[in-house]
Amino acid sequence: MEEYLNKPIKEIIAQYPGVEDVLNAYDIGCGPCNVGICLLKDIVAIHRLSDDQEQQLMVGIARAIDPKQDIKIPKKEKKSEIQPREFKYSPPMKKLVDEHVLIKRWIALIPEFVENLDVESEKGRRLILDGIDMIRSYADRYHHAKEEEILFKYFDQNADILKVMHADHTRARSLVKEMLAAVERRDRKTIAEDLMAYRELLAEHIRKEDEILYPWMDNQLSTRQVGELFSKFDEVDRQIEVSPVKYADFIDQLEKKFEKQEG
Amino acid sequence: MEKFQGCPGSRMMNFNSTAEDNTPPAMGKITSRLTQWPIQMHLINPAAPYYQGADVLLTADCVAYALGDFHREYLKDRSIAIACPKLDQGQEVYLEKIKAWIDQAKINTLTVLIMQVPCCMGLLNLAQQAAEASKRKVPIKYVVVGVQGEILREEWIAA
Repeated sequence: MEEYLNKPIKEIIAQYPGVEDVLNAYDIGCGPCNVGICLLKDIVAIHRLSDDQEQQLMVGIARAIDPKQDIKIPKKEKKSEIQPREFKYSPPMKKLVDEHVLIKRWIALIPEFVENLDVESEKGRRLILDGIDMIRSYADRYHHAKEEEILFKYFDQNADILKVMHADHTRARSLVKEMLAAVERRDRKTIAEDLMAYRELLAEHIRKEDEILYPWMDNQLSTRQVGELFSKFDEVDRQIEVSPVKYADFIDQLEKKFEKQEG
Repeated sequence: MEKFQGCPGSRMMNFNSTAEDNTPPAMGKITSRLTQWPIQMHLINPAAPYYQGADVLLTADCVAYALGDFHREYLKDRSIAIACPKLDQGQEVYLEKIKAWIDQAKINTLTVLIMQVPCCMGLLNLAQQAAEASKRKVPIKYVVVGVQGEILREEWIAA
């Protein structure tokens, strides 16, 4: 088992697809990840399972790798009896988590948005472009830029988890590019596919950040750094020409529109 | 019926019989991490240079006696002021001084260290009131220290 602990998860899943189901059972969603370079041992460690859960997970993975062989699970060092302190986000992390709320509301609307895609009328194309602008300006320029240009710089750029986050951002940008070109061509099918792909990508991306990345970062940051991040985010908010209110209004209107249609 | 024990803030307790000293003896003299004077909230000037852009500790008087590693773990690289929310008079002055830290000295963070006794929450409330009344926002953390020096709670509160 030791050799698998030091292997990238994507390689393990590619070789033994059953491992993905085992991870899913513990809400560890490595399957849809585009990069998958995290080592199995790091994935297990970062999810902070209880000792029993971790043991069960390892047994499940061992069985998925080889149901017949008696695979040895390395003994884990006994954890301290002291319980971890109750966790809450620091104010700059809380800000990023709060920004996710609007993005989550948008991705929740995407299936209905896709059903109603109208590439033929000027009004329909305008609405699609507004949706893409929500992704490009609010989710990317306003939110991801804070991460890439400020937050991530406090950490080792070669950390696997940061590479995964960067790869997600790059994928989102390439979907935006494709969608803009598809609007020009009035290519409804591509826009629909790309919006759904964006939805899936961002849902998983936000979950990883809220539940794994930000808590992990909060544990690493010093008090000094938390204060610096807070000031820098505040500075970005004051200087950037992106109005969160405009995008909140856009989402409010869409929600009302689809509620009416359902009603 | 349980005998009335009085205020938990002033109830008599003796830790001698329960406290275990498993820590190795310190190697040499422990260096003080205090880098300023004065420190009492009535005496400090919030515009002093050591508060400018600083990570500031607002510490209840008893904390430094209870918390064995106070200098190394908390005071290092920080500026400080101390106060007692139960016994100090004229705490409206404190409110104004905390506001001045936030708005004028533009402190980086404020960490409020209090004891587990209920009266100590007054110091955190005071800091929160001052933060709400300030124009600038800063991250505020609070740390609750047990009477035997254990950290009972340490968390950020909304800026």
